[in-house]
Amino acid sequence: MNLPTWTREPLVHFLIGGALLFGWFTWQGSPVDPASRSIIVDRDTLGSISAGFEQQMGRFPSDTELDNLIERHIREEVLYREALRLGMDQDDAVIRRRLAQKMDLVAGSQAELLEPSDEVLTKWLAEHPARFAQDPLYSFEQLGFVQRTTADAALKTEDLASRLETAAPTMELPKAVSGMSRQEIQTRFGQQFVRELDQLEPGDQWQGPVPSGLGWHLVRLQEVSAENLPALDDIRDDVESDWRLGTAANRKQQAYQLLRGAYSVEIDR
Amino acid sequence: MRNVWAQRGLVRWVFIGAAALALAACDAEVSEQQRGNGEGTIELAEFPDRPYWGDTHLHTDLSGDAFGFGVRLGSEEALRFASGEVVESTFGVEAQLDRPLDFLVISDHSDGLGAFKRIYDAPRMLISDPVIKRWHDMMHESPEQSLRAAGEIIDRAASNDFPAAMAEGREETTRNSWHQQIDVIDKFNKPGVFTAMGGFEWTLMPGGNNMHRVVMFRDGGDRTKQVLPFPGFGNTSSQLWDYMDAYAANTGGQVLAIPHNPNLSNGMMFELTMPDGTPMTAEYARRRASAEPVVEVTQIKGDSETHPFLSPNDEFAGFGIKGWDKANLNTEIATTSDMYGGSYAREALKRGLTLEEQTGVNPYAFGMIGSTDSHTAFATGDEDNFYGKHSSVEPVNQDRANQPQNLGTREGRFGWNYLAGGYAAAWARGNTRAEIFDAFKRREVYATTGPRMVVRMFGGFDFSAADWDGDWVRKGYETGVPMGGELVDQGSAPSFMISAQKDPDGANLDRVQVVKGWVDANGNTQERIYDVVWSDMDKRTRTGGKVPAVGDTVDRASATYTNDIGAAQLRSVWSDPDYQSGQGAFYYLRVLEIPTPRWTLFDAVRFGIDLSADAMADAVAQERAYSSPIWLKTVGSDRSEAQ
Repeated sequence: MNLPTWTREPLVHFLIGGALLFGWFTWQGSPVDPASRSIIVDRDTLGSISAGFEQQMGRFPSDTELDNLIERHIREEVLYREALRLGMDQDDAVIRRRLAQKMDLVAGSQAELLEPSDEVLTKWLAEHPARFAQDPLYSFEQLGFVQRTTADAALKTEDLASRLETAAPTMELPKAVSGMSRQEIQTRFGQQFVRELDQLEPGDQWQGPVPSGLGWHLVRLQEVSAENLPALDDIRDDVESDWRLGTAANRKQQAYQLLRGAYSVEIDR
Repeated sequence: MRNVWAQRGLVRWVFIGAAALALAACDAEVSEQQRGNGEGTIELAEFPDRPYWGDTHLHTDLSGDAFGFGVRLGSEEALRFASGEVVESTFGVEAQLDRPLDFLVISDHSDGLGAFKRIYDAPRMLISDPVIKRWHDMMHESPEQSLRAAGEIIDRAASNDFPAAMAEGREETTRNSWHQQIDVIDKFNKPGVFTAMGGFEWTLMPGGNNMHRVVMFRDGGDRTKQVLPFPGFGNTSSQLWDYMDAYAANTGGQVLAIPHNPNLSNGMMFELTMPDGTPMTAEYARRRASAEPVVEVTQIKGDSETHPFLSPNDEFAGFGIKGWDKANLNTEIATTSDMYGGSYAREALKRGLTLEEQTGVNPYAFGMIGSTDSHTAFATGDEDNFYGKHSSVEPVNQDRANQPQNLGTREGRFGWNYLAGGYAAAWARGNTRAEIFDAFKRREVYATTGPRMVVRMFGGFDFSAADWDGDWVRKGYETGVPMGGELVDQGSAPSFMISAQKDPDGANLDRVQVVKGWVDANGNTQERIYDVVWSDMDKRTRTGGKVPAVGDTVDRASATYTNDIGAAQLRSVWSDPDYQSGQGAFYYLRVLEIPTPRWTLFDAVRFGIDLSADAMADAVAQERAYSSPIWLKTVGSDRSEAQ
């Protein structure tokens, strides 16, 4: 079949496509119909204009101020609708992102407003203990050695308690450590030392030699406090804010998955 | 009808959402302790008992160049990351420091603070200035274009040539950004646990000569909100000090400034004259020394300790200078060797002695720290976690070590020239703003190129090796001065208790050196390096006056090393064998690690790329620490006290 040459003109394709799109949008309508030239400033709108002012200024607007705000709102609305009519929302990365963010916000906003019960928070605390647990605290005495063999020999033959009494602090290694957090021990003596320390049972006897990045330690591990999970009452604010963040994030993700499920996506690679 | 309802529903939802966000912001109640300087909040040790590790130089999305380079993380992410939390990077990689830092100063550029983020966020049709509109478009177009925009912005900044439109609403933008940032910093400031400090970078660069300072506050929002960050454009360092004096007078707070990258100043950072070329006055010298007690000598953009041209007899000079000693910051003006003197810290310390003889005051009596100057919001200082100078060279860019990497489009520097960055160590009695700041103020701080070595130095007149058998730290503080301190000549050689311990999770130590500088009888400055203590001293005996090299265990194919060489701890009591009565001097420590892989080698192994021959030749280095000096002052040498 021979079509007339004009059917092959890109311009014609463009015009037809444009007409179809226009027709579709006219039929479909859009949230703010660019075609509508009627603006209704209802009580809801007035309320939110007033609330916006109040939030910023800390008081309600006066009548004159409210009139000005309404005037500004109308001006914005007119320009906004005209901008939509001209298609200025298309291909604008900022607007795309704002709209996407709004969708996210809506999905998460319910969690922002909820007042979680103690039950909910207790459960949250139990499910995420690591986020709230306080570092265990270690108390020990130690002697430092450069060589493993000297440390071994000292452990076998020497009265370490009296040696400790007379020994100078080895470089930056304190002789006695009392109630130091796991984090602090790691900072001072290194990761290997903390790992090795966790292998020891607290008691009166000298143990080791325990290796660290610094050398060899003979250790009398007096006490390790259990990893301590504080009571909800003591950390309620922290748990609540963590719960809020976590819940909002979950809801956003769930909402997205729901929407995403309705799309088929093809990626040209 | 249906649409109108839908629209109302949306409006209500969004409104509720906004209200909820406001609520959430109030939720995170910031206590008075967190907002203050930390005085009286925690129990302090009797003496500084350990170095606190930090970065005083970190940029976030409020810095125009950082934003242009692509970072989309702000102060909150920066603080979460520095304090040890997992944070997703701008390019979606989960990252975490294996060891948290103890303190962080966020120092975004004061010029246009938040303004570039604003250009990016602004609706395009509202931007009328063609240049700004073009930047807006470039920032949105692609990471490459965003990078190009950043280059232009930096160039414009260097020549003080910003579009006039950027002045509109500038103060309001700055104030909003500043206040929001301060609120976040206060929220993360936890006395005794993690210190978050406010500051900014003051970015003066005439002709591309780097005269930048990091400005750091001792105080929290109650005071710092009373000022705005001071702009660099069109101002002088004297005006910066005026601003700092006014801050102290008006708020009762304290603030100091830290010059950085003198290596890119083409000799302007440490001049022998006033900035206008006239002879330096005692007044100028005193103001400078008081406002700028510490210099950042090592960071991602190279190391500024010394240059082989200045220190021809120093076999370890020249660490981190490749690519950086050819031109100033934006490579606008080439560097010639006559400029080096004013560009490196050791020479500046020497010049300080000369100027002290001339004016009675030493303007360059500074301590030394390292930091990152990272523009990724991540304070990474280690070789195995280098996140890049800025977001376009985050480790998702696998060939970053080989690429030419200049600000803007000019040639001359490559990815491998960049260092992984350094850290600042502060000897403090506890982890609060006041304690950390005061350590800087009294110069009891030191620099490392990343590893967390523990370095102590006490100067005095009656230390001996027997002191190691007792409570030597107490003796050091009670009868001597720690690093950063001053001794007054007593007619006999000073002695120093020197102790260096390796990073417990890092490489062994090669050696500890004392670097001494002085002015001889003819008025010429001199320097000498003393190897004081090193590993395996019985086997590594001096030959021809030199200690043999420690060796090299680095396996280039796997980017690994072993601690089979070197020592975990080195210490010595050292007395100056060349002491001359009546001659002032400074002494600082340089502690060298055994050779270890640089970040470039980790990249090569991780990503399976081939480094260029030049990069490969520089893929292994001896990381190091520089202590702040101890000064030996001759009697009456500092007339500043008398005046």
